[in-house]
Amino acid sequence: MSKNYYELTYIITPVLDEEEFKEVINKVNQVLEDNGAEIDEVDDWGIRKFEFEMDKKNNGYYVNAYFHAPNDLIEKLQRELRIDDRIMRFLTLKYDAKMLRHRELQKKNAVPPVFEEQTKEDS
Amino acid sequence: MIKNPSHPKKGHLKNRECKFTKAGIEYIDYKDTDLLERFMNDQGKILPRRVTGTSAKYQRQLSKAIKRARFLGMLPYVAENLR
Repeated sequence: MSKNYYELTYIITPVLDEEEFKEVINKVNQVLEDNGAEIDEVDDWGIRKFEFEMDKKNNGYYVNAYFHAPNDLIEKLQRELRIDDRIMRFLTLKYDAKMLRHRELQKKNAVPPVFEEQTKEDS
Repeated sequence: MIKNPSHPKKGHLKNRECKFTKAGIEYIDYKDTDLLERFMNDQGKILPRRVTGTSAKYQRQLSKAIKRARFLGMLPYVAENLR
């Protein structure tokens, strides 16, 4: 079965405590691994303020993950994420060749800056 | 419009060089909100190509990136102070 590279970003409700955030992250990682994904990187950004009110909340706990996965995983994952009401929103992206090359550059921290005064692009 | 020297938008026209082509970027990341914000006005609207000089190829990527960031609450649909 063909494997693709995916990126997943999801927002957990801020009403939970630290323990529960970890639990949700672990649960999502478990779902990924159970369905044959190889997790490349999981990066939690922590609580971040929204630019607008979302579900009557002003901030949320962001988690960003990269993984290799077979193509039938995404459907299962999205179902899982939709059911869990601790997760407010999520976005999955399939990486194509261009995005993969960009990702390689990001890993090496060598993305060319678009504006000169911009020294570092956050990944 | 462009030919009329007294047109109010005339002053906005800067160098018509695409910043992304120049930098040699292949993909515009929605997580890079500092960069995306530079292509929006203070109301939170996406700036048109005729103002920024972005090429059509990158304007499409840019608008997609901005819309993704908006969905995740990282960029505003409408700026807070103007609502």
